[in-house]
Amino acid sequence: MDVAMRAGAAAATAGPNHATGRSAATRRPRVGVVKFASCDGCQLTILDVEDHLLEIAERFEIVEFAEATSRRSSGPFDVLLVEGSISTPEQAVEIARLRAEAKLLVAIGACATAGGIQALRTAAEHEAFRAAVYPVPAYVDSLATARPISEFVHVDAELRGCPISPEQLVEVLVSLTTGRRPQLPDQAVCLECKRRGIPCVVVARGLPCLGPVTRTGCGAICPAFGRGCYGCFGPREQANTAGYAAALVWQAANPAGDDPNAPMPPPDSRRPVDEADVGRLFAGFNGATAPMRSITDKLGGRPVMPLRATLASPPETLLGGPPRWGAMPADTIKSEDPDGPRG
Amino acid sequence: MVIGPDTIATTPTQFLPRHRFDDLVEALGEGGRRVVGPTIADGAIVFADLAGHESLPAGWTLQTSPGRALLERLPDGPRESRTFQYPVSGEGIRRFTFPSRVDALAMETAEDGTVRVRVAAPAEPMPLAVVGARACDLAALAVHDRVLVGGPAIDPDYAARRRDLLIVAVECALAGSTCFCASMGTGPEVTAGADLVLNELDDGFVVRAPTAAGERVLATLGLAAAGPDRATTAAAQTAATRAAMGTTAIPADARSLLLANLEHPRWDAVAERCIACANCTLVCPTCFCTGLEVGSGFDGAASSATRTWDSCFTEGFAQIAGGSFRPRHRDRYRQWLTHKFATWWDQFGTSGCIGCGRCVAWCPVGIDVRAELNAIAETAPTPAPIAVPARDTVEAADTGLAPLEFSPATVVSVIPETADTTTLRLATDDPRILAGLPGQFVMVGVPAFAIPPISISRFHPDGLELTIRAAGAATSFLTKLRKGAALGLRGPLGRGWPVADAAGRDLVIVAGGIGLAPLRPVIDAVLRDRDRYHDVRIYLGARTPRDRLFVEEIDALAASDDVLVRVTVDRAGPEWLGRVGIVTQLFKSVRGTGADATAFICGPERMMAATADVLGDLGVPREHTWVTLERHMECGVGLCGHCQLGTRFVCKDGPVFSVAELGEDLRREGL
Repeated sequence: MDVAMRAGAAAATAGPNHATGRSAATRRPRVGVVKFASCDGCQLTILDVEDHLLEIAERFEIVEFAEATSRRSSGPFDVLLVEGSISTPEQAVEIARLRAEAKLLVAIGACATAGGIQALRTAAEHEAFRAAVYPVPAYVDSLATARPISEFVHVDAELRGCPISPEQLVEVLVSLTTGRRPQLPDQAVCLECKRRGIPCVVVARGLPCLGPVTRTGCGAICPAFGRGCYGCFGPREQANTAGYAAALVWQAANPAGDDPNAPMPPPDSRRPVDEADVGRLFAGFNGATAPMRSITDKLGGRPVMPLRATLASPPETLLGGPPRWGAMPADTIKSEDPDGPRG
Repeated sequence: MVIGPDTIATTPTQFLPRHRFDDLVEALGEGGRRVVGPTIADGAIVFADLAGHESLPAGWTLQTSPGRALLERLPDGPRESRTFQYPVSGEGIRRFTFPSRVDALAMETAEDGTVRVRVAAPAEPMPLAVVGARACDLAALAVHDRVLVGGPAIDPDYAARRRDLLIVAVECALAGSTCFCASMGTGPEVTAGADLVLNELDDGFVVRAPTAAGERVLATLGLAAAGPDRATTAAAQTAATRAAMGTTAIPADARSLLLANLEHPRWDAVAERCIACANCTLVCPTCFCTGLEVGSGFDGAASSATRTWDSCFTEGFAQIAGGSFRPRHRDRYRQWLTHKFATWWDQFGTSGCIGCGRCVAWCPVGIDVRAELNAIAETAPTPAPIAVPARDTVEAADTGLAPLEFSPATVVSVIPETADTTTLRLATDDPRILAGLPGQFVMVGVPAFAIPPISISRFHPDGLELTIRAAGAATSFLTKLRKGAALGLRGPLGRGWPVADAAGRDLVIVAGGIGLAPLRPVIDAVLRDRDRYHDVRIYLGARTPRDRLFVEEIDALAASDDVLVRVTVDRAGPEWLGRVGIVTQLFKSVRGTGADATAFICGPERMMAATADVLGDLGVPREHTWVTLERHMECGVGLCGHCQLGTRFVCKDGPVFSVAELGEDLRREGL
């Protein structure tokens, strides 16, 4: 699946109108942008493609995009861009409905393609997270997992990144209109560093960098500023995270010689000092993907939330009334939270 | 100008005091020449524009070891303020002659519907002087000269950048733990390729000028002779560098060792550590592989392609629509190491490794090519020497084409063949294409799409036919073209079927599925001149009856007495009255002993290997059994590196090979 765009599937474009076989739109494709559990950053990135915004607006009919227009639509869509991961029971129902309304569904961003930072709870104590954040977790209707869109419905293409790359977004839209396969490279960030002439921060500075196991597409932003890649585009093809983690563990045990006069890395770049530190590197936006998670499972480093006491029932003063959402039957909550609220 | 070792050794030396270094930079910059040299940036020593001595990494050195290249202050002492007192820089000088991104071509559909492919003009770089190149950098440049401008196809961009290049080399005054140029015979002495050579001493530089260009620069400085003491000190310093490295870093005859051990368990062991990040290939100063990135506007009417550095460590590098030929890290590491130390000799008559050790230092997990070679040598029997074949044994096609040169063509008719396969009849007046040979191919360009190689399935006096299966996005688009559509063609490329050599022999033609397309020109040629060949038999396989190509033609041929035709399908319903089974079951016999037969086979690689086996059992000689291979291709002339199969470039040495030429490589996984 991944980026396997159905060639020529430019949804609403009608039959070819001249000899080259190129399709011309008889009407503009209807595009929707929706979100689930996410920060809206990828949606805002769509607004960042300034040079192309006018052309996009001319070629596509934006019928649903909460960050940009008050116009609303529940479908149908020729192209639906979906941000965010599926984190609540309602979202699981809603994504199935939207899929039925969309000819092409493109998952955008680390949340939609890998679960995002909130997917860290997938392998942790869900209840502990809830209790740490919410005074009354009983009112929070969340699944124990935050999972990518592709685990619920068929996805026609995925755009990685936290946030996505505006250039890649344009590339996908261009591919839709021309019928070609979007060029979304799946190789390591290292190739981009080398093409740009950025010295390897692992080799020159002993910094941890996920670039070798991370898919390129960002333009190697982090190494360009002298810090390690933190893997926001997710695993590259055939990522050998085990081999790389072994090397990082060795480096942690054999730190690079620190010359006090040597040019220093930025202060926010810290070298790992033990196995858990190395494991923590892999527990990021894409930490729930198999290549990354296998390392954290082995080395540790997953965030741990201390359980704290929470209220069994809401004080009226805190919430000002009973919960206003209750779409899901009570037993659903129970099944997700076997222990129930703590008292 | 090629400078031999003797010239340089006898060149008189002068002395450039340290405080006059800027005079040298100024002299180099005379006439607007750009001057680059080593400087410190981003925690590493890299080449950048050189303002003067202040840009140089004075007082710094590099500690290199596998996986590390750390800047350190020079220890206190007489050498503490030296400027070139470090082993090789992180990135050599490759970027200046072979940039990471180069405009390659632009394609557009004009108002009248014709497709124009405009090849980007070669760069017109300003004259360049490089200060601080080492012996290994110069050896690497010499390798690139062979690869990029030494063969029938040249890289015009490289040629343009190489033309006016002035090189001020520095002989290394120390070796890093990763350096092994002395073992590769490329250093540390600068013996060729430099216009000026510096040896840094504590108070300045011993300078010699092996070329006229170097002499002209030196003359403007008015320096005194270095004198015997300084010259001796300089020579001793370089000799000490050589001694520190030793000359036995890698096994003797690494080429034979690797070629004899393509299935050694060490490949699996190194694959566990190798992260296929591609860094080794991208810091290697001799690596030359590139890919095309195509970009287009929303309407797809115009597109441009940029040539970028690529690497055999990516999955996409050896990918075709059906999958990657090197899916595993093991396959990719083996390709890298065997190419550098073994098959490079077969391809270019030189080693691909020049011993700079950058791949060792800049490998994030610290894999050392020397250790890998030695590990194989220690656990494998000493290989029998495998001689480097004379380079003209494989007849490379001289296309006479500049890379990416296209000519226009127009679709005159579209013939649907099967559900996913279409034949395009194209008109072109390009005499080179019209003079193409059976088995040759063309690269097909339409705006906004990748440029696929397609075999020619028929020649006409005024054009050709291409039979295309919709396997990827580009081929899908091509199968949907209509009459009147325009495209760009580049070709004919590659070595075709040796039809003429089959004259007077029996002929066996075996095709599976789309494999009939590149063989149809052979059948055409045979029918035109039927008397030149003895017994001619054609065996065709297809998945189902509906997947057969050129059905009417083949039926007509089968009804004639000219040739024997047998068709089989893998599976069929009751409507099919013909044979069912794999194609190798069709020929229980060939005429006579088989020794007088020539076989042409095209289909999936496993089918071709199995067919070659059966024919071999029937006595058909291996050197008369020919197959045609499919690989990822971007340039078609052996410059992009994608289509390598062991010692071969499939695009120019093939795609047609004899089974004898391929040997075990026909069946080797991941090669």
